[in-house]
Amino acid sequence: MELYKLTATELSNMLRNKECSSVEITKSVIDRITNVENKVNAYITVTNELAIEQAKSVDEKLAKGNKLSPLAGIPVGIKDNICTKDVLTTCASKILYNFVPPYNATVYNRLLDNDVVLTGKLNLDEFAMGSSCENSYFKKTSNPHNLEYVPGGSSGGSAAAVAAGEAILTLGSDTGGSIRLPAAYCGVVGLKPTYGSVSRYGLVAFASSLDQIGPFARSINDTAMIYSAICGADKMDATSAKREYPNFVANLNTNIKGLRIGLPKEYFAEGVSEEVKQNVMEAAKLLEQNGAVLVPVSLPSTDYALSAYYIISSAEASSNLARFDGVKYGYRTENYNNLIEMYENTRSEGFGDEVKRRILLGTFVLSSGYYDAYYKRAKLLQKQILNEFNETFEQCDVLLTPTGTDTAFKIGEKSNDPIKMYANDICTVTVNIAGLPAISIPCGKAKNGLPIGMQFIGPKFSEQSLFNVSKKYEDLVGGFNDVPTL
Amino acid sequence: MKVDIKHLAKLSRLNTTDEEEKRFEVQLQSILEMVDKLPCISSNDSLVDCSNPMKCREDVPEQLYKREEILSNAPQVQAGCVVVPKVIE
Repeated sequence: MELYKLTATELSNMLRNKECSSVEITKSVIDRITNVENKVNAYITVTNELAIEQAKSVDEKLAKGNKLSPLAGIPVGIKDNICTKDVLTTCASKILYNFVPPYNATVYNRLLDNDVVLTGKLNLDEFAMGSSCENSYFKKTSNPHNLEYVPGGSSGGSAAAVAAGEAILTLGSDTGGSIRLPAAYCGVVGLKPTYGSVSRYGLVAFASSLDQIGPFARSINDTAMIYSAICGADKMDATSAKREYPNFVANLNTNIKGLRIGLPKEYFAEGVSEEVKQNVMEAAKLLEQNGAVLVPVSLPSTDYALSAYYIISSAEASSNLARFDGVKYGYRTENYNNLIEMYENTRSEGFGDEVKRRILLGTFVLSSGYYDAYYKRAKLLQKQILNEFNETFEQCDVLLTPTGTDTAFKIGEKSNDPIKMYANDICTVTVNIAGLPAISIPCGKAKNGLPIGMQFIGPKFSEQSLFNVSKKYEDLVGGFNDVPTL
Repeated sequence: MKVDIKHLAKLSRLNTTDEEEKRFEVQLQSILEMVDKLPCISSNDSLVDCSNPMKCREDVPEQLYKREEILSNAPQVQAGCVVVPKVIE
C-alpha cells in the first residue's frame, strides 16, 4: 500500500491499530520525495535522517503503550520561513542562504510536543512575497497537477508537497492569500487562521500585522487536527490572543440546516473566470440543497483592498527587512570599503527583485510627505473594511467566494508584470486586512484539468464554523484526497 | 507621479543599476497608479485595534542562548565578537 497517499487521520488510525509503523509511513514519504522531487521541486531542505530518527522514537513510545497525540508519527513539512533549530531556514533568499536558527518557532515546538516527524523545509517566494512560487532564490516549484504550471504562492512548496504526497501535512504562512491561493491551485485544503490565534514567534516577519501561520492538508479532519495542535496563546508573541480554543476535531458538526451563507457580489464580478464562478455557484447550490440558506451580500470596499494591502504590507516589509544588513547573520558581500557600502552591497546582492521592489514601495509610502496620502489612508480603509465585514456577518454566518480569479497559470506567464501578478490576490487580501479566518477547499476541476478552489470566510475565531461547513461539502463530494500520478 | 528611485534606494540601503532604476521606476509608477485609487476617508478614529490589547513580556533578563550559538550565524567573528568595518576615525 502506498502510505503517502493516505490522510493523517487514516494513518493515525492505522498506527494505533498496529497496521503500520511510523517508520514505514516516513519511508513511504521519503521514497515519494526521492521519486518525484526532481519534477515538483517542493523542498529546499530534506531532513531524511532526522525524520527516520523521530519516527523511530514515536514507534518506541507506541510500543511502550504511551498515549500519544493523533498527530504522532505523521510526516509534516514546514515552509522555509519558519525557524527550526539546527535545520537551515533560508526564506528562499540568498541573504539567508546559510542561516541555521538557534531556536524553534512556537508552531514547530507545538508540533514536536505532538510527536510529528519533520520531512524538511519547503520552497516559497522569497520572504513570502509573491503569488506563484517563482521568486525563490533556489528553485521554481511546479504544480503537481501539471508541471508546466505554477503551484501558487507564496507557500507554493507547502501546497505542492501535500498535493504530490511528499508530505502528509504542511505549514505555510499567509499575508495576503499565501496559503489559500496555492491550496486552490494545487487542489488541497489551506487554512488562514484568525490573526492572533497562532503564534508568529519564529516566523521570519514579512508584514507583521497581516502574517499568520496556517496548515495545508488533504482533508478537513486533518486540517482541524493540525490547527488544534498549533493554535493558542503564546507569551513569546505579544499579538497572540489570550483565549481558550475547543478541540476542533471532536466538535466537528456537519449539520448545516439554516446556516446562512453570504455570497458577496464583488467576488463574482468581472475579472473572475466564468468557469470558476460556475463551480463555486454549483457548490453553493449543493449546500443550499442540504439545508443552507444563500444570502446575496455586498462588500463595497473590496475594490480598494488590494491597494490598501500593498501599501500596508510593503510599509511593514521595508521596516522588517532592515535587519538584514550582513552583520549578525546570513550573507555578507565580499565587496566593501566601509560600513555603508557593506550594508548596501550585502542587501543589493542578497535580495531578489520582488523584495527590492516592495522595500522601495514601503520606503516611499512611509517617507516624509507621503505618509498621510498613502499609509494613513490605507490604515483608515483597513478599519472600514473590518466594519463592513462585521455588518455583513449580521446578515450571514459565513461568506463563500472563489479563492482565485482563475486556475493556476503557466510558469513565467506573469513574471514580468507585477500588477498582473498582484491581481491574483484580489479574492484573498481583504481577509488579512480584517484579520479574519478563511479556508480554501477544492471545488472541482477546470477543463484544463487544474483544480479550482473556493473559500469560506468567517468572523474572528469562527474556525469551527469554517471546518463544519467545509466538512459537509467534503462529505457531499466524496473527499478531497486526490494525489496525482507523477 | 515621478518616483525618485535613486533617493528611495539610498534610504533603503540598496544599490540600483541604471537598468534596474528604469525598470523599478516604471513598475512603481504603475503600482502607485493602482494604489492612488484609494478613497479619502475622513476620520478621527484611532488606527490602533483595541480589541486585542498587547501585553509585552516582563523585561527580565534570561539566559536563553549560549553566546557561541548566537554568533555561529554571524558572517565574521573574532574573539567572541561580530566583526564590522571601522565606523569611527
